[in-house]
Amino acid sequence: MIQIFDVVKMYDGSNPVLDNISMEIEKGEFVFLTGPSGAGKTTVLKILFGWERFEKGQVLVSGINVGKLTHRNIYTLRRSMGVVFQDYKLLPNKTVFENVSFAQEVIGRDRKTIRFKTWEALKNVGLTPKKDVYPAYLSGGEQQRIAIARAMVNEPSIILADEPTGNLDPEISIEIFKLFEELNRKGATIIFATHSQEIVRLGNHRVINLNRGKVVRS
Amino acid sequence: MQTLLSGFRTTLSNILKNKQTFFLSVATITISIAILGLFLMLFFNLNGFLSKWNRQVQLIVYLVDDITPADKENLKELIKNAPQVDSFDEITREEAWEEFQSNMSDNLKPLLDLEFNPLPASYKIKFQETEDRLLYIRELAETLKNQKGVESIEYGEEWIRRFERFIVFSQIFLFAMGGLLCLGLTLIISNTIRLSIYSRQDEIELMLLIGATPRFVKIPFLLEGMLQGLAGSVLALALIGGAHFYIKKEFQSSIESMSMEFEFIAEPILFGLVGLSVLVGLMASYISTFQFLRMLNKK
Repeated sequence: MIQIFDVVKMYDGSNPVLDNISMEIEKGEFVFLTGPSGAGKTTVLKILFGWERFEKGQVLVSGINVGKLTHRNIYTLRRSMGVVFQDYKLLPNKTVFENVSFAQEVIGRDRKTIRFKTWEALKNVGLTPKKDVYPAYLSGGEQQRIAIARAMVNEPSIILADEPTGNLDPEISIEIFKLFEELNRKGATIIFATHSQEIVRLGNHRVINLNRGKVVRS
Repeated sequence: MQTLLSGFRTTLSNILKNKQTFFLSVATITISIAILGLFLMLFFNLNGFLSKWNRQVQLIVYLVDDITPADKENLKELIKNAPQVDSFDEITREEAWEEFQSNMSDNLKPLLDLEFNPLPASYKIKFQETEDRLLYIRELAETLKNQKGVESIEYGEEWIRRFERFIVFSQIFLFAMGGLLCLGLTLIISNTIRLSIYSRQDEIELMLLIGATPRFVKIPFLLEGMLQGLAGSVLALALIGGAHFYIKKEFQSSIESMSMEFEFIAEPILFGLVGLSVLVGLMASYISTFQFLRMLNKK
């Protein structure tokens, strides 16, 4: 489903952030992407959803050659994915319900479907009672659950999570991790970037370990 | 259609969020378009006056005092056979003197109590009211001025030539000013839109992250630019309308004697001004959104 071949990414033109990395992830797989800060985890994810360009190599996602996409058609790739960030990236001037609806408005779903799917997504993450609350009035765990609801609401086949538990305490982190496992059970391919060994030990999933831009263990 | 509706909702929310910037930009457009419109109105009226005067222009041929009957006949024949001539009157020296005296104010009459008549006899030639009548007047004037028995010819040619030059200059000036104002407006609107974009930078980035098309991102800003152009030009037209109403009310009576009136800008030009303003708004916002998206895509 996801194939990365000999990818090199440099920010300043000299030191590679990703140095000839290759990996393959099967459809429906749950993979941990681990490594210390600066190892290149976020860069791998950004390349996968077409936010960063890369200097060398090839990246294929569901048969799409990411390097060949232009800014005009990159959205086709992004619509097949859901992305969850460490800092949640919620819109502060929108309620919980509106934040989740927004992801569907962007892809042009009709209002009725948007309402139905948003309810369903919020029910899955246990946030229906707080649908009219603004993110600033919610805890970190609740905000991350909104972000997960937003990522899953368009039923993507791939979910990329960039340190989704990075700002949360251990108990809440476990809850959030379980939500991802639930999504995986429903068929989504999950790439879960984390530097937390506690989280990695929680699940019996493949681990791709990065260090200084290289894959050191897979 | 849904993208457009959703874009329109976002546009309204953008405007409400950045009310001050939006209204400042609209005010600037209003002033600029109003200036351009006022000059256009002035130009139209001057042009109208010129055409009116052109229609009133008649050719006067002054005759030498000792003109022979044969020369007189020759002149009459030339005038009769000239194209576009409507009619002509012969004014004798005595008639000219009488008319001159009757036009003088009573205070000046003693000064003109001359013992001889200094005025020459003349022919007053009227031309048909066509657009190119001035050409025929010039042509006949050229033919007549070298004929025997003609002392001089008058139809205010120099004055008309100067006025025509002035109209051409005004046209160039209006085009140049219109161009400069459009350029200025493009910069102003594009900066306002840029501010609007930066105030929503996080939202735009998120939109792109979750799969929005570039068009979906651009539409609200393009609509905002167009709306600024529309609001600015409509307000400007209202201002020009007000100015026209005031000028007409205050000064119409002074030009009525010349059977003229202050005209408003012609309808196609009015629509043209609104269209131009909307187009400038669209162009300016396109430049801003294009630059912003290009910056994001360069990563």
